[in-house]
Amino acid sequence: MEKMGEMESPKAKVRPLVRIGIFLISHRIVFSFICCIAGAVALLLLPVLAKKTYISENALMPGSANSMLSSQDVSDARKLVADIMGLNVETRNSGIEIPRILAQHIAKLGAEVSHHRFHPQPNKFHPLHFFSSPGLEIMQENTSCFLPGVSTTGIIRAPRGDGKEAIVLVTPYNAAGMDIGEALSLGMAYSVFSLLTRVTWLAKDIIWLAADSHYGEHDSVATWLREYFSPSFASLEEANGKVCPANGDLYETKDKLVFGKDAFKRAGTMAAALVIKVADGNKESEDALTIYAEASNGQMPNLDLINVVNYLAVHREGLQVKVEKMFSLIDSKFLKIVGEIIELLGKLARWLNPQWRFGIPVAEYVEGTATLASSLYSQALGIPTGSHGAFRDYQIDAVTLVISPKVSLSNNAKQSEFLLRSGRLVEGVIRSVNNLLEKFHQSFFLYFLTGPSKFVSVGVYMIAFALLIAPLPIVAASLYSEASKCDSTVKGEKPSSSPDSNMDPSMLLRPWKWLHAAKTVFIIHIWSAAVSLFPYFISQIPNITPTSSSLSWVLLSVFSLHLLYSVLGSPFSYSSSLEPHRQEWATLKSMMISAAFIGLCLMSVVNFATAEIGALLVVPLCLIAQPLKLDVRARSSKAIGRMACNLALGVVGFPPAAFFLLKGTSEGFNGLNMGEFWKWVECLWVWNSATYFYIFLVHVPCWVLFLHILLHPL
Amino acid sequence: MEDDDRKSSTKNKPQKFWEWAIASMILRLILIYFSKNLNFSSRPEVSTPLTSLRRLAEGYWLKQSSLSPYAGSMYHGSPLLLAVIGPLTAIRISGQPSHLLCSFLFVIADFITAMLIRAMGQKLQSAYSQHLKSLGLDKVLKAPEMLSSGDVAALVYLWNPLTIVTCMGSSTSPIENFFVTLSLYGACARLVPLASFGLVMATHLSLYPAILFIPVILLLGYGIDTPPRKLFLQKDSGNEMKLSSDISSQHIGMTNHLALPSFSWRLPMYFLLWASIWSCYILALCAVSVYKNGGLKEMFKRTYGFILTVEDLSPNIGVLWYFFAEVFDFFRDFFLIVFHMNILFMILPLAIRLKHRPCFLAFVYTAISSLLKSYPSVADSALYLGLLGLFANELSDMHLSFFLFCGYVGVNLLSPIMHNLWIWRGTGNANFYYATAMAYACFQIILVVESVSAMLKNDRMLRRLSTIKDSCIEKTTKIS
Repeated sequence: MEKMGEMESPKAKVRPLVRIGIFLISHRIVFSFICCIAGAVALLLLPVLAKKTYISENALMPGSANSMLSSQDVSDARKLVADIMGLNVETRNSGIEIPRILAQHIAKLGAEVSHHRFHPQPNKFHPLHFFSSPGLEIMQENTSCFLPGVSTTGIIRAPRGDGKEAIVLVTPYNAAGMDIGEALSLGMAYSVFSLLTRVTWLAKDIIWLAADSHYGEHDSVATWLREYFSPSFASLEEANGKVCPANGDLYETKDKLVFGKDAFKRAGTMAAALVIKVADGNKESEDALTIYAEASNGQMPNLDLINVVNYLAVHREGLQVKVEKMFSLIDSKFLKIVGEIIELLGKLARWLNPQWRFGIPVAEYVEGTATLASSLYSQALGIPTGSHGAFRDYQIDAVTLVISPKVSLSNNAKQSEFLLRSGRLVEGVIRSVNNLLEKFHQSFFLYFLTGPSKFVSVGVYMIAFALLIAPLPIVAASLYSEASKCDSTVKGEKPSSSPDSNMDPSMLLRPWKWLHAAKTVFIIHIWSAAVSLFPYFISQIPNITPTSSSLSWVLLSVFSLHLLYSVLGSPFSYSSSLEPHRQEWATLKSMMISAAFIGLCLMSVVNFATAEIGALLVVPLCLIAQPLKLDVRARSSKAIGRMACNLALGVVGFPPAAFFLLKGTSEGFNGLNMGEFWKWVECLWVWNSATYFYIFLVHVPCWVLFLHILLHPL
Repeated sequence: MEDDDRKSSTKNKPQKFWEWAIASMILRLILIYFSKNLNFSSRPEVSTPLTSLRRLAEGYWLKQSSLSPYAGSMYHGSPLLLAVIGPLTAIRISGQPSHLLCSFLFVIADFITAMLIRAMGQKLQSAYSQHLKSLGLDKVLKAPEMLSSGDVAALVYLWNPLTIVTCMGSSTSPIENFFVTLSLYGACARLVPLASFGLVMATHLSLYPAILFIPVILLLGYGIDTPPRKLFLQKDSGNEMKLSSDISSQHIGMTNHLALPSFSWRLPMYFLLWASIWSCYILALCAVSVYKNGGLKEMFKRTYGFILTVEDLSPNIGVLWYFFAEVFDFFRDFFLIVFHMNILFMILPLAIRLKHRPCFLAFVYTAISSLLKSYPSVADSALYLGLLGLFANELSDMHLSFFLFCGYVGVNLLSPIMHNLWIWRGTGNANFYYATAMAYACFQIILVVESVSAMLKNDRMLRRLSTIKDSCIEKTTKIS
C-alpha cells in the first residue's frame, strides 16, 4: 500500500480544527455521555435560569392612565346579563335570541352591528391540506343540515384612528348551555365596549365578537377570522337552500337579523385579541386570573401582551395571576430533591460571594418546573389551549383570560364589584395596546413560561437542546469514518504483493458505500410517511371503534413494512448476498443518526417543545443502538447492561408504548386501552399538529431503524 | 446527490433503467394532479422572477391585449417563450389543474434532458474506456462496480427531488436545463449546429449559460474528456523506448498516437459560425415579436438588464438579494460588478486546469453559476447534480460525500421551514431564511471544491498506475 504510506507522512501536522475533530471522534463515548447528562441537567435548571418578565415595548405604558370604567357601565352590563339569563330555555336554545339582544344593546350604544352565520367545519383528516396555504382550505366542503351558529360583532370606529388597525375582544358563549359565567363574560365585555364608545383616546377600532361556541370555541372564532381575511364567494344562503329545504322556516324567523355578504363588517388589521371567559368555582382566597397563550404548533403570542395583562392584573387590580401547571409534578419527590440541591448550591454560592444570585427556594423551583412542564407539554402537543389559537394563524397576538371570582357568581351584590374589577383590567389592556405604534415585535415570540411573570427565552432553552443533540453528528461522523477505515484495512490485509492491489476495483467505490444504508433509511422513511396516511383510510370505515382502528393501524403498518421488504428486498439481504460486510450496521447507524439529527433540527425550528421532548427519547435511542448479537457474544456485564438498555428503549420507543407509559405514570394505569392512543392521535391530526408529522417522519423511522440494528444478523 | 439511493439500486440491476425512468415519469404525471395542493409554484425556491410560469401567463395576457409584455415589471423572460408557452397557459381544461399542458411540456422536457444526459454519459464512458485501454489501464475498467455513468446520471436527474419539484412548480427552468444539456450533448456528439443552437438558446433564455461557451469549444476542439495530456506523452516516450525490444507493443503505441488529444480548430470555427447564425436568427425572431413594444433595446433592458442589475429583491435561495437589499445605493453598481466578476474570475483558471475534461468543466461552471446567479432556483442545482452523475466512476473517491448528502437534504428541508417562520408565522425574520441560503451556498462550494479535487486526484491516480505499470513492463522485459 504505497498510497497509504504516502498519505501517512503528512498526517503528522494536521490542522488544529481537524485535530479537535479527531479528538472528539476518538472520545465519542465520553463526549456523548457528558453532553447528554449536561443536556438533561440544563433542562432541569431552566426554572432557575428563568428571568423576570419586563415590558419591552415603551409605547405600551400599562397602567399610566386612570381607569374610566364607571358603575354606570357596570349596571348597564348587569341589565344585559339579567336579560340573557331571563330568557326561557327554549328561545335561548334556538340560538337567535341572544344575538338579537346583543345587537339591540350594541346598536343602542351607537356602534355598528353585524352577524356572522357559520356552519361547523367537519374536522377531517386530509393528508394534502397540510401543504396548502391557509385560506385555501375546506371552503368547498358541503355544509350539511346543521343548525348554523350565529356570532355577533360590534365595531367601534376609533375617533382618532384611520380605521386601519383594530383590537379584538372575544367572548365565547354557548347558547344551549348558558351559565352565569358566560353571561357575565358577555356583560363584562359589554361594559367595556360601552365605555369605549364614549372615550376620546381610542386610536384603534374595537371589535367585539360574541362568538357562538355551540360548535366549539375555536371553530366559531376560526370561521369568523377566515371570513374576515379571506371571504368565500359561494353564497351561504344558496347552499342552505339547496341542502336543507326542510329548515327553511327556521331561517325565515331570522330575517330580523342582518345576514349576507354586505353585512359582514370589517375593521383594520388586528393588533391584538383578548378572549375573555369567566369561570365559576374558584377555591382560592382571591379573585384569580388564568392566562392561556399556547396556539397551534407551540406558537406563543408576543411576551409583551402577557406582560401587560400580568402587570395590570397584579399591580392595578390585585388579581392572583396563574398559568397552567402540571399538578402531578407538584408532589414529585424527585423534583423536591433537585430543588433542595439547587437551593443548597445557591446558598453555597451566596456564602462564597454575596454577589452571586443563584438558586431559588424549593417550593418556587417545584412550582416553576410544574409550570414549565405544562408549558412544554401544551406547546409540544401543538393544540391551541383556547380560541386565541385561531388568531395566531393570522399572525395576531392573542391570549385567553379566564377570570374566576372567589365568591359564587350567583351573589348579586358581588357581581357588580367583580364586573368592575375585571372590566377595568380589560380596559387597561385595551388602552395599553391602543398606544402601540406598530405590531408587537419588541419582545419574545419564542419562550416558555415558568410562572406568570417568569420566562425562559429561546437563547436559554436552546442550550439544553443543543447539548442534547450535539453528540449525534459526532457519533455519526465517527461511526462513518470507522466503518470506512475498517473497510480499507480489511482490503489492505489481503496478502497481495503485486502492485495491482492498488487497483483493486472494489476500492473504487468505497466512499459511496453508505449509499446502501441511505437507501434503507430512505425506504423506512417512505414507509413511515405512508403509515402516517393510513388513519385517513381507516377513518373512512364506518362504525369503527377506536380500539379496533388503532389495532388495524398497527397491523396495516406491519403488513406494509413486510410487503415493502418483499418488493424492494430486505435490508439484510444485501449483506448476506455480498461478502459479509462487518461494518454495515455501523454505516446504517450513522445514517440513521444523521437522519434523526436533521429531523430534530428541523423540528426544533417548527416546534421546539416537540423537538426537546422527542430528543429526550430519540437521542439515547440513536446513541446506544448496537446489534444484540454483538452483546450476546461479548458476555461482559457492560454488554449485558447495554443489551438491557437497548431492549428497554426498544419497548419505550414504540409510540403507543411511550404514550401509555406517560399516561400511566401521570394518571394511573387502570382504564387504559388502545383506543385512547387512537383518540390522542386523532386529536393531533385534526388540529394539524406538526407533532404528528414529527412522530411519523422522525421518531417512527428512527425507532424502526433502531430495531433493525438490534436485530442485525452481522 | 439527493437521490443517490437510486444510484445504488441501479448499481445492482443496471438493466432496470427503463423501469425506473418510466416510473419517474408516472410519478410526475401523478403529482401534476396534486399541483394545486402541493403549491410548489409559489415557492421562492422553485420559481424565480425569471422562470415563473405565472409571470409568463401575465406577460402573455399583456401581449394579447397589445401591450408590451414587459410592462409593469412582471415578465422578464424571452419573447420566444411567450410565443411558444404563452398560448398553452391560456388553455384551461375544466376540472383539470391549470397549466396542465405546460406541465406536460415540462415533463417531456425533463425526460428528453435525461435522455440527452444518458447519451452523453455513454459517449463519455466509451471515450474514457478507449483512452484507458490505450494507456494500458484496462484493469480499472474490469471492476464489476464500474457503473454505466449515463444511466446513473439520467436516473439521478430524473429522480432528484429537486428536479421533480421544479417540474411540478410551473417554472420554465426545465426548458432552460434542456437547452443547456442539448448544447453539451451536441458538443459531445460533435454535432456543431445542435451544440450552437442549444447554447445560443440557453444563453438567450437565462444568460448565465454563456460561460459554457468555453467548455463547448474545448469539447469540440479536444474531444470528449480524457485523462490528462501529460499521461499520453509520458506513455508515448515509454513506448518508443521499448519499441525496439518489443514489437508486439507497437500496436499499443499506434493507438496511443491516435488517441492523443490535440486541439483542432476546425470544429470550433464551425461552431462560431453556427452560433453567430443562430444568434442572428433568434434576435431577428425576437425583434419581430417585440417590434411594436420598444424593440430589442427594451427586451435587452427588461431581460438581461433585469438579470444583471438584480432589480427584484424578493427572497430566493441565492445570496444576492439580501446583500443588495442592505447595500447603500451608491455602492450598488460597484458591488454588482464585483459579484458578476466573481463568476468571470473563476472561468479562466478552471479552464486551464481542467481543459482535458471539458464536460467536467461544464459541470463546474454550471455549479458556480448556480451559486452566484442573481435569481437561482433549485432547478440549477438539479441540473448540475445530474451532470455530476456523469462522473460517478471518476469521483468515486470523493471526500465528504456523506456530509454533503446530509447537508443538501437538511438545508433543502430547512429553507421552506424558515421561510414559513418568517413570512407566515411572523416569529422569525429575514435573517433566518438568509442563513439557510448561506448554508446552501457553503454546501455548493464544498461540493465544487471536493468534486474538482477528487477529479484531479483521479488523474493523479491514473498517472501513478500508468508509471507503475510501465516500470513493471520494464522489469519484465529486463528479466526476459
